[in-house]
Amino acid sequence: MSYDWLLFLHVLSAFTMVAGAALFMGTLLALRRKPDTVIAARIAPAATILWGVGSLAVIVFGVWLAFHVSIYSITDGWIIIAIVLWAIGGAIGGNIGRGYSALRGGGIGSMELNRLTIMNVVLAIVMLAILYDMIYKPGAG
Amino acid sequence: MLLIRPDSWNLPLILHVGGAMLLVGSLALATLLFIQSWREREPETSSSLFRFGALTMFFAVLPAYILMRIGAQWVLSREHLENSNATWIGIGFGASDFGALLLIISLILCGIAVRRVNRGGAAGKLAKAGGGIALLLIALYVIAIWAMTTKPS
Repeated sequence: MSYDWLLFLHVLSAFTMVAGAALFMGTLLALRRKPDTVIAARIAPAATILWGVGSLAVIVFGVWLAFHVSIYSITDGWIIIAIVLWAIGGAIGGNIGRGYSALRGGGIGSMELNRLTIMNVVLAIVMLAILYDMIYKPGAG
Repeated sequence: MLLIRPDSWNLPLILHVGGAMLLVGSLALATLLFIQSWREREPETSSSLFRFGALTMFFAVLPAYILMRIGAQWVLSREHLENSNATWIGIGFGASDFGALLLIISLILCGIAVRRVNRGGAAGKLAKAGGGIALLLIALYVIAIWAMTTKPS
């Protein structure tokens, strides 16, 4: 596969991952407006799917790109930072998805809601950090 | 994302790409809510879903579009490409400007529908139109992402 197509698929996967995070945030806002709302239960499953597909695809195409482009190495500092941030984001996203799965069995308590709020904020910060790392590429060139 | 570029391009680029990500993410949320709204048989739930989708269009999609567009113009000026005839820039402008038109139409329809819903009516076909336009916008932005990354000559 050419560099252009790998980059397109990598960036498209990143957009899918961010769409998943946006849906996680939408679920949270729906829950905070009206606890036990049916709206949250409608958004959460799609959020988990988008997040899962996007985060898996972004790392596959990202690592493929790192091997494909001769000036990049998988051991470059900014690539290692990106992988670490991706792993942290993946763990947080997975945790949020599991938290929302309680919607199927009924409601979410206020303690759990506060925990999910913190998780969503941390996930947004991690996503911003990944974007910063991808664009500024600290330590490269 | 791209190979090494001058540092002065990075801030506008992060605004442009970050805005575009927020735009597509919030559009995905609004689209899902509109689709769920028109599939819902319970009128009150359908109205709630539509209202939340419309609020997403006003308070997330519109600001994200503005952020993406300002970033795009800023990065173009930094790269001195304002007068470029490159195909990928043309596709980007096309997606952005046609997207703006669709977004304005969608916001007007959402505004009318929200007023109707707040008076106890149903969003009805306006929810379908809102979802359809939001889906069209996502398709348009996927084409823009393809053009921005593959840069066809």
